[in-house]
Amino acid sequence: MKKKDSQDNVFLALANPARRRIIDLLVGTPGCSVKWIASNFKFSRIAAMKHLTVLENADLVLSEKHGRTRKLFFNPIPIQHIYDRWTTDYSSFWAGRVADIQARIEARAAKKDKKHAG
Amino acid sequence: MPDNTQAKFRVEINGSIDDVWQEITRTDAPIAAFFNSRMEVGQLSAGSKLAMRTPNGKYTGVVGKILEYDPPKRFSHSFRFTNYEDPPCTVIYDLEEAEGVVQFTLTVADMPHGTKTAKQMVQGGKMIVNTLKAVIETGKPSLGTRVLFGVFKLMTPMTPKKCLSANWPVDPPAKRSHP
Repeated sequence: MKKKDSQDNVFLALANPARRRIIDLLVGTPGCSVKWIASNFKFSRIAAMKHLTVLENADLVLSEKHGRTRKLFFNPIPIQHIYDRWTTDYSSFWAGRVADIQARIEARAAKKDKKHAG
Repeated sequence: MPDNTQAKFRVEINGSIDDVWQEITRTDAPIAAFFNSRMEVGQLSAGSKLAMRTPNGKYTGVVGKILEYDPPKRFSHSFRFTNYEDPPCTVIYDLEEAEGVVQFTLTVADMPHGTKTAKQMVQGGKMIVNTLKAVIETGKPSLGTRVLFGVFKLMTPMTPKKCLSANWPVDPPAKRSHP
């Protein structure tokens, strides 16, 4: 089992584009296998397994044995805890609203650009 | 290839495995981690019916059957929302202790894909494990969660009639046989 204070492991795991991509894949395809994850990258299956070990040590990936294969799942809780560490119930509410406004403005601008391009 | 019928949530809790076990299997008071529901069972053993009721007992949000009861390591039951017509899914709580930390894993299995049940279970998983952690480590849920419970209480009168607890009885506790 991991040691108690594990946020270092989470930051370490997320500080790599391939591992962030693995999380993207797991969010979209829960329960996929190591083989399938590896097939989405140019690197070897061994390299994929190494990345998965780093993610598992951070509790970001949970695996379940099914015969000779393992099913992989994304665990969102460590990221939630990082978010909770620096936000209060009030600031998270306003941060959410500000992010929402930003997303809407950007979407509107993108739509305008598309219209002008077309 | 994707297994959209399953989701997993894991958290480490600073506390004893017995305290965590007692919290998720208590029937004497509402369980904060289970959206402040009061759990009613015929018996705490496999095969018994289970219901998650509002704190005052008037309404029942979830019903199921206990599948595994293995203290203090695994508690599992089927799970069906009373206000949806979806088939039931399965929830499994796994506890493992090492060095004063409990690794608590919630697995939701057999989720009917694309249903309201699946959506609720994926959204609710985070809150269940985080609230359990807060209750064991600090003695109470976070402020946001407590505010949410207040909102639930205000909304109770709007609960559909089919969720009335009278419609969802559980087996009565088995009578002790006297020699």
